[in-house]
Amino acid sequence: MKKIASLAAALLLAAGSVWAQETVKIGLMAPLTGSWASEGQEMKQILDLLASDLNERGGLLGRKVEVLAEDDGGDPRTASLAAQRLASRGVVAVVGTYGSSITEASQAIYDENEILQIANGSTAVRLTEKGLPYFLRTSPRDDEQGRVAAQTLLARGFKKVAVLHDNTSYSKGLAEEARGLLTQAGATVAFFDALTPGERDYTAILTKLKAAGPEAVFFTGYYPEAGLLLRQKKEMGWDVPFLGGDATNNPDLVKIAGTAAAEGFLFLSPPVPQDLPYDQAKAFLASYAKAHGGTPGSIWAVLAGDGFLAAAAGIEGAKSTKAGAVAAYLKKDLADFSGLTGPIAFNEKGDRVGEVYKVYRVDAAGAFVLQP
Amino acid sequence: MEQFLQQLTNGLAVGGIYALIALGYTMVYGVLRLINFAHGDLFTLGAYLGMTLLVSLGLRDGLGPVLGVAVLAVMVMGLVGLVGALLERTAYRPLRESPRLSAVVSALGASIFLQNAIMLVYGARFQVYPQDVLPRVAVTVFGASVPLMRLLIVGASVVLMGALYLFIQRTRIGTAIRAAAIDQGAARLMGIDVDRVILIVFLLGPALGGAAGLMVGLYYGQINFTMGWVYGLKAFTAAILGGIGNIPGAMVGGLLLGVIEALGAAYVSMAWKDAIAFLVLIGILIVRPTGLLGERVAEKV
Repeated sequence: MKKIASLAAALLLAAGSVWAQETVKIGLMAPLTGSWASEGQEMKQILDLLASDLNERGGLLGRKVEVLAEDDGGDPRTASLAAQRLASRGVVAVVGTYGSSITEASQAIYDENEILQIANGSTAVRLTEKGLPYFLRTSPRDDEQGRVAAQTLLARGFKKVAVLHDNTSYSKGLAEEARGLLTQAGATVAFFDALTPGERDYTAILTKLKAAGPEAVFFTGYYPEAGLLLRQKKEMGWDVPFLGGDATNNPDLVKIAGTAAAEGFLFLSPPVPQDLPYDQAKAFLASYAKAHGGTPGSIWAVLAGDGFLAAAAGIEGAKSTKAGAVAAYLKKDLADFSGLTGPIAFNEKGDRVGEVYKVYRVDAAGAFVLQP
Repeated sequence: MEQFLQQLTNGLAVGGIYALIALGYTMVYGVLRLINFAHGDLFTLGAYLGMTLLVSLGLRDGLGPVLGVAVLAVMVMGLVGLVGALLERTAYRPLRESPRLSAVVSALGASIFLQNAIMLVYGARFQVYPQDVLPRVAVTVFGASVPLMRLLIVGASVVLMGALYLFIQRTRIGTAIRAAAIDQGAARLMGIDVDRVILIVFLLGPALGGAAGLMVGLYYGQINFTMGWVYGLKAFTAAILGGIGNIPGAMVGGLLLGVIEALGAAYVSMAWKDAIAFLVLIGILIVRPTGLLGERVAEKV
């Protein structure tokens, strides 16, 4: 009996010392199920990989790091539940999630619980305009994409441009952003209107576009319509250059348009993981390939990895896990930090500083080629 | 002028497809006073079956492009017609004596069933037809460039519609269909097998819808399982525009709707294209509640 008591006491002591060595818990809120499950699964794989790397190097503030994943199902209602669960499990920072409206549903919960949140696939402008102190993101903003679009068009010498959107809030916002910047820079927007997504025949629209006589067309909708536009444009014998937004980044675009019609199409996108030119990225992609085979398919999952690295750098730099201190460090003092998608720094609002968008071109074989 | 002509041909090609689909709605309505909501999905089925047959049978290589596509069209029309007839037997015939609302609900159910079945078999992603099944050349008419495929679409639509019209007007079965459309009870008393007439209507309408699906696949290249909804809605509108129940009306309504859409997009606003088309529809229905060619003609024949 005595033996058991002393054993229990020893166990308690041991437990006590482990208690002192409590792990640093970092949450991941991601769509592990639902229609974006493939994105979410990759996010989890990447965070687990980075966490085990970090632990091999000694962890954070002398403690081990633990990743706690919660499924938001790609749905705002599930997201608020996931956020509450993570908050109650004692995370100090959360990475996530994919989709602006889903991120938005969780923002207030993390803010009330004073938990740092770094979003990775949420591009809507308003998310950082609310002035929440503990919210940051590694993904670019929609207005940033508009800026790069205008820059790309102007740099290629197009002075008279047509802008076409599809009336969704993403597409229309981006189109308006680009129109404003183009006009400001002295270019003419000869045409600005929307098409109806989901149709098959866009020749009426193309005929009208052609009559406006633009030197280039910027289309901000999604890849199925972009593919049809390219195909029908070629059939009309009209060879105006087309530029697309990041929603046209899908290999199916080439299948729909046909290789010949898709050739020369330009689009904006954060770089696909294989094209990330940075040393960190190359090392990471190699270790990802070793652990899981292949490369992650989605840039948004890699941006979750950057969120994790930024959170870790913030905790290390602030020498604290308090959200206020970490957020202040990330926004003011983080410098010379290279993440997987390039140098990372944040502005006062929590938005990432610097350019993430790249220009891609479809080549004669239908492959997406990163433009210098 | 050049732009006007170009838009006119754009509109006619789209309208030809609307018209072919509209025929299915109008025929079923004419005989059964029922809107076959699953008709748009039969159109989708035609597009998918066309793709499967084209890829798996290698008709183009064996028979050459023109004959290959003709054989393909016959096969697709036959198969979709059979599905239409099967649909009639399972979803509509058991409810023929029930209140009309039951048949409407059954039609909606059949639509959802077909759409999901197509999605489960082929997947939810966009499917793409093989490229360049038919030669892609364009002719220039008064400065307007018209791809040969469009002429083929309009031509094939007109031929199919004409054939249907002659079939209805000149054959014994056609006469029986017209009789059943006027009064099913009286037709039965005259010794007409009304069940058989209805079955034939459900063979012909979906066969034409299937042909339209094949044309969309061949010409536009990209198909997906939800596309029957937009086309079905537009074709249904075209049928009402021309006067539902009236076969020449469906043709006129379809072509007109396509042209209104194209001209509306060109001269008013692209984003308001559909709204303009529906405004015109409402305007016409206020002046002529039975549609352009209305019930009157159907009564006369």
